[in-house]
Amino acid sequence: MDTNTNVNYKSEYAGYWKVLVGLLVLTAVTFVQPGMFLTDYTFAAQLIIGAIKAWMILMYYMHLKGEKLIGAMGVFSLFLVAVFFIIVIIDVNNFQFGDVSHITSPAK
Amino acid sequence: MSHEYVPEIAVDREGKEHEVQGWQDDTYGGKLGFWLFMFTEVMMFGAMFLILTYYFSLHHQDFINASASLNRVLGGVNTVVLLFSALTMGLGLLKMRSGDVKGAKLMIWATILLAIVFLGIKAVEWTAEYQHGVFLGLEALQAGNEFSKPFGEILFFGMYFTMTGLHGFHIIIGIGIMLWLLKRINAGKVTPHHHILHFNIALYWDLVHLIWVFVFPYFYMIGAGDIAGVVNGH
Repeated sequence: MDTNTNVNYKSEYAGYWKVLVGLLVLTAVTFVQPGMFLTDYTFAAQLIIGAIKAWMILMYYMHLKGEKLIGAMGVFSLFLVAVFFIIVIIDVNNFQFGDVSHITSPAK
Repeated sequence: MSHEYVPEIAVDREGKEHEVQGWQDDTYGGKLGFWLFMFTEVMMFGAMFLILTYYFSLHHQDFINASASLNRVLGGVNTVVLLFSALTMGLGLLKMRSGDVKGAKLMIWATILLAIVFLGIKAVEWTAEYQHGVFLGLEALQAGNEFSKPFGEILFFGMYFTMTGLHGFHIIIGIGIMLWLLKRINAGKVTPHHHILHFNIALYWDLVHLIWVFVFPYFYMIGAGDIAGVVNGH
């Protein structure tokens, strides 16, 4: 048994370049967005552009297209992060030592 | 008490049993195992991004002010450098899979070169920030003295140096494992028919790129209020 699979070189080669062009265009959009559109929502707009770029990288460069098990594991790992984060938010919001904290603002 | 050898048995499609001699050719297992490792990385950086978002909600204006002081031109160039490095790494793997070992090695060297360029630009950026008095341990980033920056900016720069530093550390590790990959290719251990190591190292490099896809807007772009600011950087 080997790890090699049939390679459609021309098609995959072209695919890599197409994804690169897409990522470059999105990077350019990242640069111009704060001055051109959704100017009051820069943070959200930037994250949406970043999410699209991440999806392209995951699907095409990291070959996740069709990998259901790995995709499910990814969602689960992000879920775990979210659970821990929610606990941390609750903890920080009820922090008893705000005056001497290096986490919460002294002025808060 | 002696330990009796218990053979591991695998069953083929016809139902015949075979004693397992090794898992070296278990491509899917190798890929799955590496993804498990990468999920630990996702969780580590994911937690940092969530913390950053939370701090941003607490110190909105301070974060925007601090972000506006970063050099977006250098950050943007580094984004493009990493984009091309992901391409060269991917093309290297494609060349390896299609039997062009020499071409694959050339692409890995190109990726290493781009990684060094990335680190060089990062070093220039950090040096400039140090010269402006903004660096971990300097007075501006410590609360309670006359040179202290606003609290939110201290948090921002603390996260900035931690996360870009950790990301840079991953780049250095990436260069190291790519050099190791070249050694394995030269030794004939990684071939067009046995390239799982190459595949996993390409995955690692894509993850490093993926993390930067979020590092860049989080730190460099949230303070970009107009086109002039984007173009001029500092």
